[in-house]
Amino acid sequence: MAAAAAGRGGRLALARRALGPLMWVAGLAVPIVLASSWVSILAIFAIYAVVALSQDIVLGRAGMYDMGHAVYFGVGAYVTAILNTRFHWPIFATWPVAIVVAAVIGVALSAPIVKLRGDYLLVATIGFNIIFVLAMSNDVFGLTGGPDGIFGVGVPHVLSLALSSQGALFYLDWLVLALVLLIMRNLERSRVGRVFRYLKEDELAATTLGVDARYYKILAFAIGAGLAGAAGTLFAVQLASVSPGSFVFTESVTLFAIVLVGGQASIPGVLLGTALMFVVPQVFRGLAQYRYFAFGIAMILVMVLRPQGIWPRRRSGP
Amino acid sequence: MSGAALLELHDIGISFGGLRAVDALSFAVDEGQIKGLIGPNGAGKTTVFNMVTGVYRPTDGRIRFAGEDITGRSPHRVAARGIMRTFQTIRLFAGMTVLENVLAGQHLRTRQTWWQSLLATPGQRREEAELVERTLATLERLDLADVANEVATALPYGMQRRVELARTLVADPKLLILDEPAAGLNDMESSALNDTIRGIRDAGVTVLLVEHDMNVVMNVTDSIVVINFGRKIAEGTPGEIQTHPAVVEAYLGQDDDEEVAT
Amino acid sequence: MDVVLQQFVNGVTVGGFYALIALGYTMVYGVLKLINFAHGDLCILAAFIGLSVLTTGIGGANAGALMVALAFVVAAVAVGIAGTVLELTAYRPLRKAHRLSAVVSALGASMLIENGIMLVWGPQVKVFPSNLLPHISWSFAGASISFVQVLIIGGSLLLMAGLYYYVHHTRFGTAIRAAAIDQDAARLMGINVNRVITSVFIVGPALGAVGGLFVGLYYREAYFNMGWIYGLNAFIAAIIGGIGNIPGAMVGGLLLGLFNAFAAGYVSSTWQEAITFALLIAILLVRPTGILGERVAEKI
Repeated sequence: MAAAAAGRGGRLALARRALGPLMWVAGLAVPIVLASSWVSILAIFAIYAVVALSQDIVLGRAGMYDMGHAVYFGVGAYVTAILNTRFHWPIFATWPVAIVVAAVIGVALSAPIVKLRGDYLLVATIGFNIIFVLAMSNDVFGLTGGPDGIFGVGVPHVLSLALSSQGALFYLDWLVLALVLLIMRNLERSRVGRVFRYLKEDELAATTLGVDARYYKILAFAIGAGLAGAAGTLFAVQLASVSPGSFVFTESVTLFAIVLVGGQASIPGVLLGTALMFVVPQVFRGLAQYRYFAFGIAMILVMVLRPQGIWPRRRSGP
Repeated sequence: MSGAALLELHDIGISFGGLRAVDALSFAVDEGQIKGLIGPNGAGKTTVFNMVTGVYRPTDGRIRFAGEDITGRSPHRVAARGIMRTFQTIRLFAGMTVLENVLAGQHLRTRQTWWQSLLATPGQRREEAELVERTLATLERLDLADVANEVATALPYGMQRRVELARTLVADPKLLILDEPAAGLNDMESSALNDTIRGIRDAGVTVLLVEHDMNVVMNVTDSIVVINFGRKIAEGTPGEIQTHPAVVEAYLGQDDDEEVAT
Repeated sequence: MDVVLQQFVNGVTVGGFYALIALGYTMVYGVLKLINFAHGDLCILAAFIGLSVLTTGIGGANAGALMVALAFVVAAVAVGIAGTVLELTAYRPLRKAHRLSAVVSALGASMLIENGIMLVWGPQVKVFPSNLLPHISWSFAGASISFVQVLIIGGSLLLMAGLYYYVHHTRFGTAIRAAAIDQDAARLMGINVNRVITSVFIVGPALGAVGGLFVGLYYREAYFNMGWIYGLNAFIAAIIGGIGNIPGAMVGGLLLGLFNAFAAGYVSSTWQEAITFALLIAILLVRPTGILGERVAEKI
């Protein structure tokens, strides 16, 4: 790759590439430097950032209009909550289960609908989201706890050490964010990542080159769902509870908007979008009533003035 | 030069609603041949290509490739058998560089699994480097190495055609289907195209092409099939086709008042 | 038997306003291939506007036919204007951009309108006074039909017939249908496509406004985030009938209304919703173009 990458900006590009990792390292100081309310906000940011990045895989990279992504986030959260509160599994033990179950559900839901044209796929995903929330609110199998959800989710333990402080949880979330960012980077430099782009740009041409479109579309959903599920576990731990209200259709709409407003297939764009959509409202809680009104205006303005998103993907790198 | 039949169409037909686009069409392309498929506009040529490459499913007839029945197989399975194609309207991936576009042609030869991709295992990274190397070699062959990092769709038209061609060649196909490769090229570029096509055949790839530019068709093909209204009206060498009465009539109509533009 | 008839009456009533709201979605989608996510909120805006008109200066007596008519007119006009403004500011600038940009803009508009309603009329549920319409009902064959139901059914049918006539028997209506089939070809034929689009954004929301006010009068309440629920349901109706297809929206609305009415007797409301969406997904998989929709082939 070095030979082909030569002449791609040199020192400036290097500085740009170092910015992300530097900011992450700076983040490590947060629990030490900032008040605990800020630490909570940034912990939640890290969790939502993972979900948003997972949404970006399906929407921004593979080009499929998924407006029901909160389902997978919710599946992960509920799996952890149920296994931990009802069956007393340690949190870290529930994690791989949450990821796998979310991914499997991703495959199951996407398999019948990936053949649908864009708008129809979108509506189908909305339908799945609504059905999911209805199911969770209705205490299915007596496990999901009804509209109030499940309380009393525990904290993860590393050996015998409980990660019970907000600071410890923040570090866990921050670490997971770093891992996910790494995975995203690897994705970009791999065949899977390229295939997603081919499918998004021109599915027909891609299939004539040997790409099994159906397989890769379902794979995109599976990976996106698995990552969202992983974030779900962290979310359940952060809130020490899960409830259907956190995974309603409007949450999916927000995730969808983050990718579009931030910048499709753009890691800094998606992170920025997450910050704007989730963190800013937390900060301006006093003006809560005007919050969504302002969001609405902002979304329209961004799309009209900058349809490629606030921080679009840089056109470089395979 | 030519060997056994590589691609065989037996009585192929397809209807779109009430329209019979292709009817009872049969011909074969022998290994090592450069076969032309010509006919007036709307004759059904691209439809035939779409049936061979699995984009459409024929309603009648069979298609055989290297002895195997590929009728109605999906495009990616047809590609896996060794058939690559270019498109009438160039279909390069927008927003991606020449290198990235041509890399796509290597999809079938890539072994890395999805989890190896996500984890960037050493094997995966090694394969990536090999893929790039092989791609660059193909770009060299087609004189595109200088523009490897340019956005493909920003290049001049003639170059974009070469990029699309490179994308199919890097896949090492057995049969290459070219849909109007000379469209939009000037005379000089057409001649260069002829040399390129001959070079491709000499490297062991069988070629089937649709073309309107007679400079290309008459000079580079070994054998030509002529279709009109979805049916075969003639088949033979370029010399035979040029004087074939049915062909002349199809292109010029029954009144021969007009000049032939070749 | 009378239970069935009663449910039928209820179903046709609900179907009536679903159809009116669905028409707005389908007309916009037909011409722009855009799901106007803000449409449901526009329709509910009409309910609020109508309510405000009806409750100003009434006193104890019945609202009076004139007042009711005025409420409908004001609501329809206001929402028709709002629809036009919406198109001009949030959609027209994005004509050339990627489809998804318009989707996000639509979502933003929805958020804006919904929260705008909340800021103006407050977050609590607004109750419609019970003396707005006469409390008459008629019984027949064991079922009863109330004044408001007659109003809704009659009004819906009248408007749908009017729209059908307009779209199929006037020149401009033909222009709308042409633009829905192929915008570029329509433009080349000399049709002013911009004018078609503007009118679709007046008529669609105006019809939906009547539907929205019907919702308010029927259930006698309105709350600011009602738009989503009714909008989504109407949207499903439009898809079932065939999105982009005007008679389809009417049929879809009716079917949905009937389904809701009949299912209400046997299934809890939450499962009703789940079934509605499951039905939607089934339709998308089996016949995505809907009951009356046409299959459109893609030239490769």
